[in-house]
Amino acid sequence: MDFSTSRRRILTGSAIAALGSTLSPRLLYANDAISIGSLTPNTGGGAPYGGNMAAAIRRTVDQINASGGVLNRQIKLTQEDGETNPETATRAADKLINVNQVIAILGTWASSVTLGIMPKCQSANIIQMCTSSSDDIPIRDTKGLCFNFQILNPVWGRALGKMAIDRGFKQFKLMALNNDFTRSILTGFEEAIGPGRLLEKPFYYNANQASYKAEVSRLLEGNPDAVFIPAYVTDFTSVYKDIYRAGYKGQVITVTFAASEPFKKAVGAAADGILHGFPIPPLDSPAYKQYLQEAGLQDNGQIQHPYGTACRDQISVLALAIEKAGTTEAEAVKRAIYDVSTGPGKKVVYNVLDGLKALRAGEKINYSGAGSAVEFDQNRQLIGRDIQLYQIRNGRDEIIATLKVR
Amino acid sequence: MAQVIVNGIVSAALIAPPAVAFSMLFGILRFPNFAIGGYITVGVFAAYAMNVPLALPFWVAALGATLAGAVIVWISDQIIFRPMRTSAPVTLLVVSIALTFVLEHSVRLIFGPDVKGFNLPLERPITLGQIHITRSQIHLIGTALFIIVFTHLLLTRTRTGRAMRAMADNPELAEVRGIRSTLIRVVATLYCGALLGLSGVSAGFDLAIEPLLGWSLTIPIIAAAILGGIGSVYGAMLGAVLVGLAEEFSTLILPSSYKIAVGFGIIAMLLLLRPQGLLGQPEIKK
Repeated sequence: MDFSTSRRRILTGSAIAALGSTLSPRLLYANDAISIGSLTPNTGGGAPYGGNMAAAIRRTVDQINASGGVLNRQIKLTQEDGETNPETATRAADKLINVNQVIAILGTWASSVTLGIMPKCQSANIIQMCTSSSDDIPIRDTKGLCFNFQILNPVWGRALGKMAIDRGFKQFKLMALNNDFTRSILTGFEEAIGPGRLLEKPFYYNANQASYKAEVSRLLEGNPDAVFIPAYVTDFTSVYKDIYRAGYKGQVITVTFAASEPFKKAVGAAADGILHGFPIPPLDSPAYKQYLQEAGLQDNGQIQHPYGTACRDQISVLALAIEKAGTTEAEAVKRAIYDVSTGPGKKVVYNVLDGLKALRAGEKINYSGAGSAVEFDQNRQLIGRDIQLYQIRNGRDEIIATLKVR
Repeated sequence: MAQVIVNGIVSAALIAPPAVAFSMLFGILRFPNFAIGGYITVGVFAAYAMNVPLALPFWVAALGATLAGAVIVWISDQIIFRPMRTSAPVTLLVVSIALTFVLEHSVRLIFGPDVKGFNLPLERPITLGQIHITRSQIHLIGTALFIIVFTHLLLTRTRTGRAMRAMADNPELAEVRGIRSTLIRVVATLYCGALLGLSGVSAGFDLAIEPLLGWSLTIPIIAAAILGGIGSVYGAMLGAVLVGLAEEFSTLILPSSYKIAVGFGIIAMLLLLRPQGLLGQPEIKK
């Protein structure tokens, strides 16, 4: 073999090297797997849900890959823990975008995380899918890349406020954890009850305080009929202990994941009487029942994995949209997301494999999900979800009202 | 106003014992051990494990947490800090922060991230006029007072206590005078560990039990120790009362969301105006 150098060989080699260096890693990936990232809250405030969310995405990707992938390409899933912390999540998003070369980041939960990684996603043309509900999300999503699988907080807060008024409470005080999620849900509640029913302007506290006694004393001053405290489970547990120990006999209202099972176990019988509300998955939907089977859960009539279901929907809708678009290019995929999820007169599918089959058969589809019907408005927000109001009685949640929000 | 003072005293009861432990550890080991948050977390989860999964009475769980705290602080000192005894204090400080992460994540790995509670029913308060306080909160204050008095007697009335003070004042001179420094270090770490384990029980009773519980207390504890005069046990106690009251009173004039900054504010002011703290002695360097 002739290994001698010649001018022609050097020029050819240089040309190949130059061409190689101009190809971005993204292009080099093109004929390979489709790289998708998930950034779920496996630890921190969202930890009770993060595991289910990450597992739901993994299971669905495994199903898709086992059936031949999307556009005849396998999906390469990289999963990171956002720690329910925007700083950690931003570093993880950096890694997903620049190292793993993902085309989309799924599974962000806290609004602060979704908003925190948004500038990086927008500048890299990365599709975001989240279950966050700050009303800043559609405003800051200037490129139209962020699809939200949760209703916005003000809608949620207004529904809870309306249900509270329907139950006859006249005077309220409101206090919230100081973050995007709780601030915007509190705003909706405040709008629904109106200024005349408020004893004092709402106020906020920070997470991870050594004591919440001063805030609780202020909240209970004037002995309001009801107090509304949108919070995460960790701070709500500490706050509620102080409310109970202060002898308050009025009505405590919060969001369901603050009054979740760990909370009830932590405070025991003292939890009885709390009202809490939550946007719920469609419990009668075939997609929800399929999700329970996939996750190895029994249908007990209670809501299970409210965010895990939404994550199954996120990866399913994304995969169907890529198949429909015939490309992973963001502009085409975001248009295709509407095609496969929203609008009447299409074949309704409840899982990604049926959807892929129908698309390949040339049918128009509407994916109806395990977490919601997955219908988006022009701002990429869910059009509606049912909201249920519960009261804790004998340590269990009892449904006392359901409101259809459209 | 009266309720704010009661709230401040309950908060002080929560941070005084660990502030004393932090101060004593600093005096003996000569570096600020930021792993106190991790030690408290280990204490609270040891108590939880005994009280809930093992269904042992609460007082047995509290005793177990005290022992667990003593053991974890001693083991940490033997394995991590003893080989680094000659390192600069700032190096040890950074290592202690890393140790907190290791301890908290180990707890998370074993017990999971969910909030938990002891097998104790929440109590309604005793009401005296405008003041509400529960019997358990009175016990919490009583326990803190007992710890302070016991620590005072230990340091002033026993040979071991006097040896600890001598070590804290001047370790080289103490060794020259025949004090067995290794043994005193072991006793001090075990005692401070026991205080931190017991503080975990108090914290788990007052707040939500979760792996990051220790971090919530770290800044007020260090603020109390610095305010009182780092290395001074009585200063730490006084500092805890002042920090507890300052945090509660701050909400009367500042938005609640700024309350968490009070601890940092106290540290910053003290370092500028009186670095040795209220009861601490200025360090003379020759």
